Amino acid sequence: MIYIIDHKDSFTHNVVHQFSLFDKVECNNYNELDRNKLEKASVIIFSPGPGNPKNYPLTSKIYKSFKGKKKIIGICLGFQQILFCEGAKIVEQKKIYHGFQSNIQVTNSKSLFRKGKKFKVGRYHSLKLKEPFKAKDFEITMRCLESKVAMTFENNKDKIYGFQFHPESFLTYNGNLLIKKILSA
Amino acid sequence: MNKKNQLADLHHSGEPYIIYKSKRGFDLYTNFSKKIILNSKNIKSFFSTKYKRKSKNTDLFIGFLGYELLNNLVKIKVPRQKNINFPKGIFYKPEKIIKLSNKLNYQNKYNSKHDNFKINIDKNSYVKIFDSFKKKIKRGETYQIKICTKYKTKSKINPLDFFCRLSKTNLAPEAFMIKDKNYSVISCSPENLITKKGFLISTKPIAGTVKKNKNMNKAKALNYFRKNLKETKEHNMIVDMERNDLSRICKVGSVKLSRSKVVEEYKDLFHYVSLIKGKLEKNIKNIDIIKAMMPGGSVIGCPKINTLNLLNNQEKENRNIYTGSFGYIKFNGDMRFNIIIRSILNFKNISEISVASGVVVDSNANHEFSENYIKAKALIDLFK
Repeated sequence: MIYIIDHKDSFTHNVVHQFSLFDKVECNNYNELDRNKLEKASVIIFSPGPGNPKNYPLTSKIYKSFKGKKKIIGICLGFQQILFCEGAKIVEQKKIYHGFQSNIQVTNSKSLFRKGKKFKVGRYHSLKLKEPFKAKDFEITMRCLESKVAMTFENNKDKIYGFQFHPESFLTYNGNLLIKKILSA
Repeated sequence: MNKKNQLADLHHSGEPYIIYKSKRGFDLYTNFSKKIILNSKNIKSFFSTKYKRKSKNTDLFIGFLGYELLNNLVKIKVPRQKNINFPKGIFYKPEKIIKLSNKLNYQNKYNSKHDNFKINIDKNSYVKIFDSFKKKIKRGETYQIKICTKYKTKSKINPLDFFCRLSKTNLAPEAFMIKDKNYSVISCSPENLITKKGFLISTKPIAGTVKKNKNMNKAKALNYFRKNLKETKEHNMIVDMERNDLSRICKVGSVKLSRSKVVEEYKDLFHYVSLIKGKLEKNIKNIDIIKAMMPGGSVIGCPKINTLNLLNNQEKENRNIYTGSFGYIKFNGDMRFNIIIRSILNFKNISEISVASGVVVDSNANHEFSENYIKAKALIDLFK
Protein backbone atom coordinates (compact mmCIF):
# COMPACT_ATOMS: atom_id res chain seq x y z
CA MET A 1 0.00 0.00 0.00
CA ILE A 2 1.14 3.53 -0.79
CA TYR A 3 0.40 6.18 1.83
CA ILE A 4 0.16 9.79 0.65
CA ILE A 5 0.45 12.69 3.05
CA ASP A 6 -1.62 15.54 1.61
CA HIS A 7 -0.19 18.96 2.44
CA LYS A 8 -3.57 20.49 1.56
CA ASP A 9 -2.71 20.98 -2.08
CA SER A 10 -4.93 21.29 -5.13
CA PHE A 11 -2.84 18.74 -7.02
CA THR A 12 -2.65 15.90 -4.49
CA HIS A 13 -5.52 13.92 -5.97
CA ASN A 14 -3.80 13.89 -9.34
CA VAL A 15 -0.93 12.23 -7.47
CA VAL A 16 -3.37 9.78 -5.87
CA HIS A 17 -4.76 8.79 -9.27
CA GLN A 18 -1.32 8.45 -10.79
CA PHE A 19 0.01 6.15 -8.04
CA SER A 20 -3.28 4.20 -8.00
CA LEU A 21 -2.34 2.90 -11.44
CA PHE A 22 0.36 0.83 -9.73
CA ASP A 23 -0.84 -0.07 -6.22
CA LYS A 24 -3.51 0.52 -3.60
CA VAL A 25 -3.29 4.11 -2.34
CA GLU A 26 -4.43 5.68 0.92
CA CYS A 27 -4.33 9.45 1.34
CA ASN A 28 -4.88 11.60 4.41
CA ASN A 29 -4.80 15.29 5.07
CA TYR A 30 -1.74 16.57 6.97
CA ASN A 31 -4.02 17.36 9.95
CA GLU A 32 -5.62 13.91 9.99
CA LEU A 33 -2.69 11.51 9.61
CA ASP A 34 -3.19 7.86 10.45
CA ARG A 35 -0.36 6.13 12.29
CA ASN A 36 -1.69 2.65 11.44
CA LYS A 37 -1.74 3.27 7.71
CA LEU A 38 1.69 4.82 7.94
CA GLU A 39 3.07 1.67 9.60
CA LYS A 40 1.37 -0.61 7.06
CA ALA A 41 2.48 1.30 3.98
CA SER A 42 5.36 0.05 1.84
CA VAL A 43 5.83 3.49 0.25
CA ILE A 44 5.24 6.93 1.79
CA ILE A 45 4.64 9.95 -0.45
CA PHE A 46 4.96 13.59 0.60
CA SER A 47 2.56 15.57 -1.57
CA PRO A 48 3.03 19.01 -3.08
CA GLY A 49 1.64 21.92 -1.08
CA PRO A 50 1.77 25.62 -0.29
CA GLY A 51 4.40 27.20 1.96
CA ASN A 52 7.81 25.77 2.82
CA PRO A 53 9.13 22.73 4.73
CA LYS A 54 9.24 24.63 8.04
CA ASN A 55 5.43 24.71 7.99
CA TYR A 56 5.17 20.90 8.18
CA PRO A 57 7.14 19.63 11.21
CA LEU A 58 5.07 16.43 11.39
CA THR A 59 6.18 15.43 7.90
CA SER A 60 9.82 16.01 8.90
CA LYS A 61 9.31 13.78 11.94
CA ILE A 62 7.78 11.04 9.77
CA TYR A 63 10.67 11.28 7.35
CA LYS A 64 13.24 10.89 10.08
CA SER A 65 11.52 7.90 11.66
CA PHE A 66 10.97 6.00 8.39
CA LYS A 67 14.14 6.89 6.50
CA GLY A 68 15.84 3.69 5.35
CA LYS A 69 12.88 1.57 6.51
CA LYS A 70 10.41 2.39 3.74
CA LYS A 71 10.59 3.84 0.27
CA ILE A 72 9.90 7.59 0.50
CA ILE A 73 9.00 9.83 -2.44
CA GLY A 74 8.59 13.62 -2.30
CA ILE A 75 6.91 15.79 -4.91
CA CYS A 76 7.49 19.56 -5.14
CA LEU A 77 7.10 20.66 -1.51
CA GLY A 78 7.71 16.99 -0.63
CA PHE A 79 11.02 17.12 -2.55
CA GLN A 80 12.01 20.22 -0.59
CA GLN A 81 10.84 18.68 2.68
CA ILE A 82 13.19 15.70 2.33
CA LEU A 83 16.15 17.86 1.34
CA PHE A 84 15.37 20.23 4.21
CA CYS A 85 15.52 17.26 6.61
CA GLU A 86 18.90 16.41 5.10
CA GLY A 87 20.21 19.83 6.01
CA ALA A 88 19.52 21.71 2.78
CA LYS A 89 18.48 25.34 2.58
CA ILE A 90 15.28 25.99 0.61
CA VAL A 91 15.28 29.49 -0.84
CA GLU A 92 13.19 31.81 -3.03
CA GLN A 93 14.19 31.94 -6.68
CA LYS A 94 14.11 34.98 -8.94
CA LYS A 95 12.01 33.45 -11.66
CA ILE A 96 8.90 31.68 -10.44
CA TYR A 97 7.52 28.64 -12.16
CA HIS A 98 3.79 28.27 -11.56
CA GLY A 99 2.09 26.39 -14.39
CA PHE A 100 5.29 26.35 -16.41
CA GLN A 101 6.45 23.65 -18.80
CA SER A 102 10.22 23.07 -18.91
CA ASN A 103 12.73 20.79 -20.53
CA ILE A 104 14.88 18.91 -18.08
CA GLN A 105 17.73 16.46 -18.48
CA VAL A 106 19.34 13.57 -16.61
CA THR A 107 22.76 14.91 -15.64
CA ASN A 108 24.09 12.19 -13.37
CA SER A 109 25.22 8.67 -14.28
CA LYS A 110 24.10 7.33 -10.86
CA SER A 111 20.49 7.89 -11.89
CA LEU A 112 17.97 5.11 -12.60
CA PHE A 113 17.44 6.98 -15.86
CA ARG A 114 19.88 7.12 -18.73
CA LYS A 115 22.26 10.09 -18.52
CA GLY A 116 21.43 12.69 -21.17
CA LYS A 117 17.77 11.70 -21.47
CA LYS A 118 15.41 14.66 -21.71
CA PHE A 119 11.89 15.10 -20.32
CA LYS A 120 9.19 17.73 -20.74
CA VAL A 121 7.69 18.48 -17.34
CA GLY A 122 5.18 20.72 -15.53
CA ARG A 123 6.41 22.93 -12.67
CA TYR A 124 4.72 24.75 -9.78
CA HIS A 125 7.37 26.15 -7.49
CA SER A 126 8.58 29.47 -6.22
CA LEU A 127 11.23 27.96 -3.92
CA LYS A 128 14.25 25.87 -4.83
CA LEU A 129 17.16 23.93 -3.38
CA LYS A 130 20.10 26.17 -2.51
CA GLU A 131 23.31 24.75 -3.94
CA PRO A 132 25.95 23.53 -3.42
CA PHE A 133 24.19 20.80 -1.47
CA LYS A 134 25.77 17.62 -0.17
CA ALA A 135 24.25 14.78 1.81
CA LYS A 136 25.41 11.20 2.14
CA ASP A 137 24.03 8.90 -0.62
CA PHE A 138 21.95 11.73 -2.17
CA GLU A 139 22.52 12.60 -5.82
CA ILE A 140 20.94 15.40 -7.83
CA THR A 141 20.05 13.50 -10.99
CA MET A 142 18.05 15.83 -13.23
CA ARG A 143 18.24 19.55 -13.89
CA CYS A 144 16.33 22.21 -15.77
CA LEU A 145 18.05 22.64 -19.13
CA GLU A 146 17.73 26.40 -18.99
CA SER A 147 18.24 27.41 -15.34
CA LYS A 148 20.14 24.28 -14.15
CA VAL A 149 17.95 24.20 -11.03
CA ALA A 150 17.78 20.75 -9.36
CA MET A 151 14.72 18.83 -10.58
CA THR A 152 15.16 15.36 -9.06
CA PHE A 153 17.28 13.65 -6.46
CA GLU A 154 17.80 9.95 -5.90
CA ASN A 155 19.09 8.06 -2.91
CA ASN A 156 19.18 4.55 -4.30
CA LYS A 157 20.68 3.09 -1.12
CA ASP A 158 17.80 4.11 1.17
CA LYS A 159 15.24 4.25 -1.67
CA ILE A 160 14.40 7.93 -1.26
CA TYR A 161 13.36 9.91 -4.33
CA GLY A 162 12.22 13.46 -5.02
CA PHE A 163 10.72 15.42 -7.88
CA GLN A 164 10.78 19.21 -7.85
CA PHE A 165 8.43 19.14 -10.85
CA HIS A 166 5.01 17.49 -10.96
CA PRO A 167 5.00 14.02 -12.59
CA GLU A 168 1.19 14.01 -12.27
CA SER A 169 0.66 17.28 -14.18
CA PHE A 170 -0.87 17.22 -17.66
CA LEU A 171 2.18 19.31 -18.60
CA THR A 172 4.51 16.37 -17.87
CA TYR A 173 4.91 13.87 -20.68
CA ASN A 174 5.60 10.26 -19.68
CA GLY A 175 4.96 11.01 -16.01
CA ASN A 176 3.58 7.50 -15.44
CA LEU A 177 6.78 6.02 -16.80
CA LEU A 178 8.90 7.99 -14.32
CA ILE A 179 6.74 6.85 -11.41
CA LYS A 180 6.72 3.22 -12.56
CA LYS A 181 10.51 3.10 -12.64
CA ILE A 182 10.87 4.69 -9.20
CA LEU A 183 8.26 2.37 -7.69
CA SER A 184 9.96 -0.73 -9.07
CA ALA A 185 13.43 0.40 -7.97
CA MET B 1 -51.25 33.80 -25.51
CA ASN B 2 -47.85 34.31 -27.12
CA LYS B 3 -44.62 33.77 -25.29
CA LYS B 4 -43.52 37.37 -25.36
CA ASN B 5 -46.52 38.41 -23.38
CA GLN B 6 -46.22 35.39 -21.15
CA LEU B 7 -42.86 36.60 -19.87
CA ALA B 8 -44.01 40.20 -19.47
CA ASP B 9 -47.24 39.14 -17.81
CA LEU B 10 -45.41 36.84 -15.45
CA HIS B 11 -42.99 39.61 -14.58
CA HIS B 12 -45.75 42.11 -13.86
CA SER B 13 -47.75 39.58 -11.85
CA GLY B 14 -45.00 39.77 -9.23
CA GLU B 15 -44.66 35.98 -9.09
CA PRO B 16 -41.09 34.74 -8.58
CA TYR B 17 -39.40 33.16 -11.58
CA ILE B 18 -36.02 32.07 -12.89
CA ILE B 19 -34.56 32.17 -16.39
CA TYR B 20 -31.59 29.92 -17.26
CA LYS B 21 -29.78 29.60 -20.59
CA SER B 22 -30.47 26.34 -22.38
CA LYS B 23 -28.77 24.97 -25.47
CA ARG B 24 -31.14 26.55 -27.94
CA GLY B 25 -32.64 29.43 -25.99
CA PHE B 26 -33.70 30.00 -22.40
CA ASP B 27 -35.80 28.02 -19.94
CA LEU B 28 -38.25 29.89 -17.77
CA TYR B 29 -38.99 28.25 -14.40
CA THR B 30 -41.94 29.39 -12.34
CA ASN B 31 -44.97 28.40 -10.27
CA PHE B 32 -42.74 27.53 -7.32
CA SER B 33 -44.30 25.07 -4.88
CA LYS B 34 -41.33 25.11 -2.48
CA LYS B 35 -38.64 27.57 -1.51
CA ILE B 36 -35.81 26.27 0.64
CA ILE B 37 -33.44 28.74 2.29
CA LEU B 38 -30.14 27.01 2.92
CA ASN B 39 -27.62 27.40 5.70
CA SER B 40 -24.64 25.33 6.81
CA LYS B 41 -26.95 23.20 9.01
CA ASN B 42 -29.64 22.15 6.54
CA ILE B 43 -27.58 21.93 3.35
CA LYS B 44 -26.58 18.30 3.84
CA SER B 45 -30.13 17.12 4.37
CA PHE B 46 -31.24 19.20 1.37
CA PHE B 47 -28.82 17.33 -0.85
CA SER B 48 -29.53 13.90 0.62
CA THR B 49 -33.35 14.08 0.58
CA LYS B 50 -34.76 11.76 -2.05
CA TYR B 51 -37.82 12.86 -3.98
CA LYS B 52 -40.33 10.77 -5.82
CA ARG B 53 -39.77 10.93 -9.55
CA LYS B 54 -42.85 11.62 -11.57
CA SER B 55 -40.75 11.78 -14.73
CA LYS B 56 -41.84 15.34 -15.35
CA ASN B 57 -39.40 17.95 -16.55
CA THR B 58 -40.16 19.90 -13.36
CA ASP B 59 -38.64 17.15 -11.16
CA LEU B 60 -35.83 19.39 -9.99
CA PHE B 61 -34.67 22.10 -7.61
CA ILE B 62 -33.14 25.24 -9.07
CA GLY B 63 -31.29 27.94 -7.18
CA PHE B 64 -27.94 29.11 -5.89
CA LEU B 65 -25.25 28.32 -3.32
CA GLY B 66 -23.52 31.45 -2.00
CA TYR B 67 -19.77 31.81 -1.46
CA GLU B 68 -19.86 31.62 2.35
CA LEU B 69 -21.95 28.44 2.34
CA LEU B 70 -19.49 26.79 -0.06
CA ASN B 71 -16.64 27.74 2.27
CA ASN B 72 -18.45 26.26 5.25
CA LEU B 73 -18.98 23.03 3.31
CA VAL B 74 -15.21 22.59 2.96
CA LYS B 75 -14.78 23.50 6.65
CA ILE B 76 -13.51 27.02 6.06
CA LYS B 77 -14.85 29.70 8.37
CA VAL B 78 -15.35 33.12 6.87
CA PRO B 79 -14.39 35.74 9.48
CA ARG B 80 -16.84 38.44 10.55
CA GLN B 81 -17.38 40.75 7.58
CA LYS B 82 -19.58 43.62 6.53
CA ASN B 83 -22.77 41.80 5.69
CA ILE B 84 -26.11 42.74 4.15
CA ASN B 85 -27.66 39.51 5.50
CA PHE B 86 -28.49 38.17 2.10
CA PRO B 87 -29.48 34.45 2.27
CA LYS B 88 -26.57 32.01 1.92
CA GLY B 89 -28.42 29.83 -0.55
CA ILE B 90 -31.95 29.39 -1.90
CA PHE B 91 -33.52 26.63 -3.98
CA TYR B 92 -36.95 26.55 -5.61
CA LYS B 93 -39.15 23.71 -6.81
CA PRO B 94 -40.80 24.80 -10.06
CA GLU B 95 -44.10 23.38 -11.24
CA LYS B 96 -43.90 24.94 -14.67
CA ILE B 97 -41.11 25.28 -17.25
CA ILE B 98 -41.54 27.30 -20.44
CA LYS B 99 -39.08 27.21 -23.33
CA LEU B 100 -38.04 30.61 -24.67
CA SER B 101 -35.99 31.49 -27.72
CA ASN B 102 -32.65 33.30 -27.61
CA LYS B 103 -34.39 36.52 -28.50
CA LEU B 104 -35.90 37.80 -25.31
CA ASN B 105 -38.09 40.76 -26.07
CA TYR B 106 -39.38 42.94 -23.35
CA GLN B 107 -40.37 46.56 -23.43
CA ASN B 108 -39.72 48.33 -20.19
CA LYS B 109 -42.28 50.92 -19.22
CA TYR B 110 -40.52 52.10 -16.08
CA ASN B 111 -37.25 53.90 -15.90
CA SER B 112 -34.66 52.56 -13.54
CA LYS B 113 -33.33 54.82 -10.81
CA HIS B 114 -29.83 54.72 -9.45
CA ASP B 115 -26.90 56.72 -8.07
CA ASN B 116 -23.31 56.48 -9.19
CA PHE B 117 -21.45 53.28 -8.41
CA LYS B 118 -18.88 53.33 -5.62
CA ILE B 119 -15.97 50.92 -5.42
CA ASN B 120 -15.13 49.29 -2.07
CA ILE B 121 -11.35 49.25 -2.60
CA ASP B 122 -9.62 52.28 -4.10
CA LYS B 123 -6.55 51.98 -6.25
CA ASN B 124 -4.09 52.63 -3.43
CA SER B 125 -5.47 49.93 -1.19
CA TYR B 126 -5.73 47.63 -4.19
CA VAL B 127 -2.03 48.05 -4.92
CA LYS B 128 -1.22 47.33 -1.26
CA ILE B 129 -3.26 44.11 -1.26
CA PHE B 130 -1.74 43.19 -4.60
CA ASP B 131 1.81 43.63 -3.35
CA SER B 132 1.21 41.66 -0.20
CA PHE B 133 -0.24 38.77 -2.22
CA LYS B 134 2.68 38.92 -4.60
CA LYS B 135 5.02 38.41 -1.67
CA LYS B 136 2.97 35.40 -0.61
CA ILE B 137 3.32 33.98 -4.11
CA LYS B 138 7.10 34.36 -3.90
CA ARG B 139 7.06 32.53 -0.58
CA GLY B 140 4.99 29.74 -2.10
CA GLU B 141 1.92 30.30 0.11
CA THR B 142 -0.28 30.58 -2.97
CA TYR B 143 0.42 30.12 -6.70
CA GLN B 144 -2.37 32.31 -7.95
CA ILE B 145 -4.98 34.43 -6.15
CA LYS B 146 -7.94 36.50 -7.35
CA ILE B 147 -8.55 39.87 -5.72
CA CYS B 148 -12.22 40.78 -5.60
CA THR B 149 -13.51 44.34 -5.80
CA LYS B 150 -17.12 45.36 -5.39
CA TYR B 151 -19.11 48.18 -6.96
CA LYS B 152 -22.30 49.29 -5.26
CA THR B 153 -25.06 51.81 -5.72
CA LYS B 154 -28.53 52.64 -4.47
CA SER B 155 -30.95 51.64 -7.15
CA LYS B 156 -34.39 50.63 -8.19
CA ILE B 157 -34.24 48.63 -11.40
CA ASN B 158 -36.33 46.35 -13.53
CA PRO B 159 -34.28 43.12 -13.64
CA LEU B 160 -36.09 41.64 -16.63
CA ASP B 161 -35.31 44.71 -18.69
CA PHE B 162 -31.67 44.46 -17.63
CA PHE B 163 -31.45 40.75 -18.38
CA CYS B 164 -33.01 41.10 -21.83
CA ARG B 165 -30.64 43.91 -22.77
CA LEU B 166 -27.67 41.98 -21.38
CA SER B 167 -28.54 38.85 -23.36
CA LYS B 168 -28.72 40.92 -26.53
CA THR B 169 -25.09 42.00 -26.23
CA ASN B 170 -23.75 38.90 -24.50
CA LEU B 171 -25.48 35.57 -25.00
CA ALA B 172 -23.47 33.75 -22.34
CA PRO B 173 -23.80 29.95 -22.10
CA GLU B 174 -24.47 30.00 -18.35
CA ALA B 175 -26.57 33.18 -18.16
CA PHE B 176 -29.38 33.27 -15.65
CA MET B 177 -31.75 35.54 -13.83
CA ILE B 178 -33.65 35.12 -10.59
CA LYS B 179 -36.58 37.36 -9.74
CA ASP B 180 -38.05 36.90 -6.30
CA LYS B 181 -40.17 39.23 -4.20
CA ASN B 182 -37.32 40.76 -2.21
CA TYR B 183 -34.30 40.33 -4.47
CA SER B 184 -33.12 39.68 -8.01
CA VAL B 185 -29.96 38.43 -9.71
CA ILE B 186 -28.90 39.07 -13.30
CA SER B 187 -25.88 37.24 -14.65
CA CYS B 188 -24.12 36.57 -17.92
CA SER B 189 -21.86 33.87 -16.51
CA PRO B 190 -19.87 32.09 -19.21
CA GLU B 191 -18.53 29.28 -17.07
CA ASN B 192 -19.93 25.80 -16.44
CA LEU B 193 -18.56 24.19 -13.28
CA ILE B 194 -20.49 20.92 -13.13
CA THR B 195 -22.42 18.98 -15.71
CA LYS B 196 -23.43 15.62 -14.31
CA LYS B 197 -25.46 13.06 -16.20
CA GLY B 198 -25.69 9.62 -14.70
CA PHE B 199 -22.15 8.74 -13.66
CA LEU B 200 -20.54 11.07 -16.21
CA ILE B 201 -19.28 14.43 -15.01
CA SER B 202 -17.51 17.30 -16.72
CA THR B 203 -16.21 20.77 -15.94
CA LYS B 204 -15.25 23.49 -18.37
CA PRO B 205 -12.92 26.07 -16.86
CA ILE B 206 -12.24 29.38 -18.55
CA ALA B 207 -8.96 31.15 -18.04
CA GLY B 208 -8.30 33.83 -20.60
CA THR B 209 -10.70 36.22 -22.29
CA VAL B 210 -10.14 38.60 -25.16
CA LYS B 211 -12.56 41.04 -26.74
CA LYS B 212 -13.66 40.61 -30.33
CA ASN B 213 -12.91 43.33 -32.83
CA LYS B 214 -12.14 43.73 -36.52
CA ASN B 215 -8.56 42.56 -36.06
CA MET B 216 -9.30 39.65 -33.78
CA ASN B 217 -10.65 36.46 -35.30
CA LYS B 218 -10.67 32.97 -33.79
CA ALA B 219 -7.27 31.95 -35.15
CA LYS B 220 -5.69 35.18 -33.97
CA ALA B 221 -7.27 34.78 -30.55
CA LEU B 222 -5.69 31.32 -30.23
CA ASN B 223 -2.35 32.75 -31.24
CA TYR B 224 -2.75 35.58 -28.71
CA PHE B 225 -3.46 33.14 -25.87
CA ARG B 226 -0.63 30.78 -26.84
CA LYS B 227 1.89 33.58 -26.96
CA ASN B 228 0.72 35.15 -23.73
CA LEU B 229 2.78 33.39 -21.07
CA LYS B 230 0.76 34.75 -18.15
CA GLU B 231 -2.56 33.51 -19.58
CA THR B 232 -1.00 30.16 -20.47
CA LYS B 233 0.41 29.60 -16.99
CA GLU B 234 -2.86 30.61 -15.32
CA HIS B 235 -4.76 28.29 -17.61
CA ASN B 236 -2.39 25.36 -17.00
CA MET B 237 -2.79 25.77 -13.27
CA ILE B 238 -6.59 25.72 -13.51
CA VAL B 239 -6.52 22.59 -15.68
CA ASP B 240 -4.41 20.68 -13.16
CA MET B 241 -6.56 21.96 -10.29
CA GLU B 242 -9.81 20.88 -11.96
CA ARG B 243 -8.30 17.50 -12.82
CA ASN B 244 -7.48 17.23 -9.12
CA ASP B 245 -10.98 18.17 -7.98
CA LEU B 246 -12.55 15.63 -10.35
CA SER B 247 -10.04 12.99 -9.22
CA ARG B 248 -11.43 13.28 -5.68
CA ILE B 249 -14.75 11.83 -6.85
CA CYS B 250 -13.94 9.94 -10.06
CA LYS B 251 -12.65 6.47 -10.90
CA VAL B 252 -8.89 6.07 -11.21
CA GLY B 253 -7.82 6.57 -14.79
CA SER B 254 -11.16 8.05 -15.87
CA VAL B 255 -10.29 11.76 -15.56
CA LYS B 256 -9.40 12.94 -19.03
CA LEU B 257 -8.59 16.29 -20.54
CA SER B 258 -11.04 16.02 -23.40
CA ARG B 259 -10.40 19.45 -24.92
CA SER B 260 -7.19 21.22 -24.03
CA LYS B 261 -6.82 24.98 -24.39
CA VAL B 262 -9.20 25.75 -27.22
CA VAL B 263 -10.79 29.06 -28.18
CA GLU B 264 -14.56 29.41 -28.02
CA GLU B 265 -16.23 32.23 -29.83
CA TYR B 266 -19.10 34.22 -28.33
CA LYS B 267 -20.97 37.25 -29.47
CA ASP B 268 -18.40 39.83 -28.26
CA LEU B 269 -15.55 37.77 -26.91
CA PHE B 270 -13.25 34.82 -27.19
CA HIS B 271 -12.66 32.55 -24.22
CA TYR B 272 -9.71 30.23 -23.69
CA VAL B 273 -11.31 27.03 -22.36
CA SER B 274 -10.60 23.42 -21.52
CA LEU B 275 -13.00 20.56 -20.98
CA ILE B 276 -12.26 17.89 -18.40
CA LYS B 277 -14.36 14.77 -18.00
CA GLY B 278 -14.54 11.85 -15.60
CA LYS B 279 -16.58 8.85 -14.50
CA LEU B 280 -17.89 9.05 -10.95
CA GLU B 281 -16.96 6.47 -8.31
CA LYS B 282 -19.88 4.29 -7.28
CA ASN B 283 -20.55 5.55 -3.77
CA ILE B 284 -20.21 9.28 -4.51
CA LYS B 285 -23.17 11.46 -3.49
CA ASN B 286 -24.09 14.82 -4.92
CA ILE B 287 -22.95 16.61 -1.76
CA ASP B 288 -19.50 15.01 -2.24
CA ILE B 289 -19.38 16.41 -5.76
CA ILE B 290 -20.33 19.89 -4.53
CA LYS B 291 -17.64 19.73 -1.83
CA ALA B 292 -14.96 18.53 -4.26
CA MET B 293 -15.70 21.08 -6.99
CA MET B 294 -16.92 24.23 -5.22
CA PRO B 295 -16.13 27.05 -4.98
CA GLY B 296 -14.89 26.77 -8.56
CA GLY B 297 -11.11 27.03 -8.62
CA SER B 298 -10.76 29.29 -11.64
CA VAL B 299 -12.29 32.24 -9.75
CA ILE B 300 -10.43 31.65 -6.47
CA GLY B 301 -6.83 30.73 -7.18
CA CYS B 302 -4.59 27.84 -6.29
CA PRO B 303 -4.11 25.83 -4.08
CA LYS B 304 -7.73 26.25 -3.18
CA ILE B 305 -7.88 25.85 0.61
CA ASN B 306 -4.90 28.04 1.49
CA THR B 307 -5.91 30.63 -1.08
CA LEU B 308 -9.48 30.78 0.26
CA ASN B 309 -8.09 31.42 3.74
CA LEU B 310 -5.83 34.19 2.44
CA LEU B 311 -8.76 35.80 0.62
CA ASN B 312 -11.14 35.55 3.54
CA ASN B 313 -8.66 37.11 5.94
CA GLN B 314 -8.18 40.04 3.62
CA GLU B 315 -11.74 40.74 2.45
CA LYS B 316 -13.81 43.09 4.56
CA GLU B 317 -17.12 42.50 2.85
CA ASN B 318 -19.18 39.36 2.31
CA ARG B 319 -19.11 38.11 -1.29
CA ASN B 320 -22.76 36.98 -1.12
CA ILE B 321 -23.54 35.20 -4.39
CA TYR B 322 -20.29 36.16 -6.13
CA THR B 323 -18.12 33.08 -6.96
CA GLY B 324 -20.89 30.88 -5.61
CA SER B 325 -22.80 28.59 -7.98
CA PHE B 326 -26.19 28.66 -9.62
CA GLY B 327 -27.87 25.67 -11.20
CA TYR B 328 -30.20 22.75 -10.71
CA ILE B 329 -30.37 19.27 -9.24
CA LYS B 330 -32.79 16.87 -10.85
CA PHE B 331 -34.63 14.25 -8.81
CA ASN B 332 -32.75 11.57 -10.79
CA GLY B 333 -29.46 13.01 -9.46
CA ASP B 334 -28.31 14.83 -12.59
CA MET B 335 -26.93 18.32 -12.00
CA ARG B 336 -25.84 21.42 -13.82
CA PHE B 337 -24.05 24.26 -12.00
CA ASN B 338 -22.21 27.35 -13.16
CA ILE B 339 -19.89 29.78 -11.42
CA ILE B 340 -21.62 33.03 -10.47
CA ILE B 341 -19.54 35.80 -12.02
CA ARG B 342 -20.48 38.80 -14.16
CA SER B 343 -23.58 39.28 -12.07
CA ILE B 344 -25.67 41.98 -10.44
CA LEU B 345 -27.30 41.31 -7.10
CA ASN B 346 -30.23 43.61 -6.26
CA PHE B 347 -31.26 43.48 -2.63
CA LYS B 348 -32.72 46.10 -0.27
CA ASN B 349 -32.61 48.73 -3.06
CA ILE B 350 -28.88 48.28 -3.54
CA SER B 351 -27.23 46.83 -6.64
CA GLU B 352 -23.84 45.23 -6.25
CA ILE B 353 -21.41 44.00 -8.87
CA SER B 354 -18.30 42.07 -7.87
CA VAL B 355 -15.35 41.35 -10.10
CA ALA B 356 -11.97 39.74 -9.64
CA SER B 357 -8.78 39.25 -11.51
CA GLY B 358 -5.73 37.19 -10.85
CA VAL B 359 -2.46 37.91 -9.19
CA VAL B 360 0.27 35.67 -10.47
CA VAL B 361 3.87 36.58 -10.08
CA ASP B 362 4.23 38.44 -13.35
CA SER B 363 0.96 40.37 -13.24
CA ASN B 364 0.84 44.09 -12.79
CA ALA B 365 -1.32 45.87 -10.19
CA ASN B 366 -2.40 48.76 -12.44
CA HIS B 367 -3.28 46.42 -15.25
CA GLU B 368 -5.34 44.10 -13.04
CA PHE B 369 -7.10 47.03 -11.36
CA SER B 370 -8.27 48.40 -14.69
CA GLU B 371 -9.07 44.85 -15.84
CA ASN B 372 -11.46 44.64 -12.91
CA TYR B 373 -13.04 47.91 -13.93
CA ILE B 374 -13.50 46.75 -17.53
CA LYS B 375 -15.25 43.61 -16.29
CA ALA B 376 -17.57 45.67 -14.07
CA LYS B 377 -18.19 48.33 -16.70
CA ALA B 378 -20.02 45.93 -19.03
CA LEU B 379 -22.61 45.54 -16.28
CA ILE B 380 -22.51 49.12 -14.97
CA ASP B 381 -23.30 50.32 -18.51
CA LEU B 382 -26.69 48.60 -18.27
CA PHE B 383 -27.70 51.26 -15.75
CA LYS B 384 -27.39 54.02 -18.33
